[in-house]
Amino acid sequence: MPMPAAPLWRSRTTRSLLLQGGFALALLAAIVAATLTARANLSAQGMTSGFDFLWTSTGWEMNFTLLPAAPTDPYWWFLLLGLLNTLLMGLIGLGGASVIGLIVGLMRSGRNPAARFLATLYIELFRNLPLILQLFFWYALANALPNPRAALDLGPALLSSRGIYLPGLAVPYGAAIVIAAILLLGLALAIRVLAARRFARMEPVPRRVLALSLVLLAILASAAIALATHPPGTGWLSLPQPRGLRIDGGIRVQPEFACLAIAIMTYGGAYVGEIVRGGFKAVGRGQLEAARALGLSPWQVFSRVRLPLAFRAMLPILINQYVWLIKATTLGIAVGFSDFFMVIASSITHSGQTLELIGILMGGFLVVNFSLAAVLNRLNRAIALKGHNTGGAA
Amino acid sequence: MDLTAPAIAIRDLNKFYGTFHALCGLSLTVRKGERVVVCGPSGSGKSTMIRCINQLEEHDSGEIRVFGTLLDDNLASIDAVRREVGMVFQHFNLFPHMTVLENCTLAPILVRKTPRAVAEALALKFLEKVRILDQASKFPGQLSGGQQQRVAIARALCMQPEILLFDEPTSALDPEMIAEVLDVMVTLANEGMTMICVTHEMGFARKVADRVIFMDKGEIVEEAAPAAFFEAPRNERTRLFLSEVLAH
Repeated sequence: MPMPAAPLWRSRTTRSLLLQGGFALALLAAIVAATLTARANLSAQGMTSGFDFLWTSTGWEMNFTLLPAAPTDPYWWFLLLGLLNTLLMGLIGLGGASVIGLIVGLMRSGRNPAARFLATLYIELFRNLPLILQLFFWYALANALPNPRAALDLGPALLSSRGIYLPGLAVPYGAAIVIAAILLLGLALAIRVLAARRFARMEPVPRRVLALSLVLLAILASAAIALATHPPGTGWLSLPQPRGLRIDGGIRVQPEFACLAIAIMTYGGAYVGEIVRGGFKAVGRGQLEAARALGLSPWQVFSRVRLPLAFRAMLPILINQYVWLIKATTLGIAVGFSDFFMVIASSITHSGQTLELIGILMGGFLVVNFSLAAVLNRLNRAIALKGHNTGGAA
Repeated sequence: MDLTAPAIAIRDLNKFYGTFHALCGLSLTVRKGERVVVCGPSGSGKSTMIRCINQLEEHDSGEIRVFGTLLDDNLASIDAVRREVGMVFQHFNLFPHMTVLENCTLAPILVRKTPRAVAEALALKFLEKVRILDQASKFPGQLSGGQQQRVAIARALCMQPEILLFDEPTSALDPEMIAEVLDVMVTLANEGMTMICVTHEMGFARKVADRVIFMDKGEIVEEAAPAAFFEAPRNERTRLFLSEVLAH
């Protein structure tokens, strides 16, 4: 039976367009109204709104920066350094949490009862105490360390209430940053070569040679930079030396940084450990038996079948956990670590530009977490198992 | 590996799961080139028996020799036996994160140290043999059950094993796919591959088996050439089983 063409108000497309348009307009109206109200209230209190303050100098100091900063530097530079600190903490925290999580998760899914017990103890302890409590615990512990004069001697490293002093390369700070960046890049490229499907058709040995030569190249470039910038006539290693009330030489890791990093790593490690255990549990017995029946060694079964399949099961949950941990770095303010959140808080106190700075804070975390999730989601899609028919072999 | 020794020689094999006696003093000898079909009710120990041959299950007592190599605590002899004994599983157990071709080249490259190009050529040859060459770059999840099982057979063949073990290879397949897998198995049998098949496909047993073995409660109850086994089973349990399997 032929139906007459539907009138415009009965068409499904028109209705859905109207609904969507109405929703978007209402949202826009709410935002405009809120902005206008805030502006009116602020100017009634004699406060200027806008982002001009970003180019004025701060007049205060940051206690930890990766790049040089002085009170005469503008706000935007401080905010950028704060964001860098958050990224560094995220990198170290997530990296450490992943390593701890992999070890603990493997111990928990293994057959050794002693290892399983230890891992379970670890996870229950670190997962069930609030993160801020753990952070205060580590900070109290750091403050209870002896003063530099009586620093604990851990071989080449020194431990004191002023921080951890590690031996470093005797090169200028700028050169050290460049060297670290080159080494990270070399390592990342090598992992890319080893993991990428594009290189999958290469023989395993040349692939390893290519990856190894990338790492070697990075090491050589770093060595060249070190040679060029090393002050002549001094030793290659800069070892921390107690000198009166302070410690000279080496790399100082301030207690605030170390405590937050340890707290994030250990707390995150407990959660990642459970995710890792779940991932390994999700791998089908059949695939492992097939690999063993083909004569693969235990390590080959693990690295070619068990880990790749477990990783695919873990990744979607890991992405959540990573985003969560990045947000948890804002707890640094509780012990005085100058992360993005703390720099924003100080800036608000000093400049009074509350709304703008909160906007920047939200924008910054959105960009960081959104990028992290986007990259990992891309990886997740790239390695997702193709097709649905696994024939009951789960 | 001594290729003049019996392909498989099992003597007085015992296996327990807790207190359950899964294999009760089982003995079996399989000559090179022989095709043996093993049948029996579920829980009779068929799968356990063939899984002991490549040590996916560890036996508790008794002796298993594969081409003269004794399977004991020595990991090297287990590795040596696994290189020569291929296995095809009920649920295919392909590696879902690898293409069909990668599934087939993984073990030759890692275990036999075959150069990739040679391993790929070999894999393509066997994929053609199981009539699935056009799917070489697909992933297992994109194939039907019958296609996956044929890939699994090709994967086992790529190690160029002396013996193939089949553990209920058609039990998880839809009826219309059973024939395509059995066809491949018949081809292999006719080429002289030493095979032990745990299966309830009695037509297959009749067509290719040199010997049919009936197991129940962890023991070999009856073994005979297919004609005698199907026409004149001697044991009451065999008769009961056959009447149930052949009834429909």
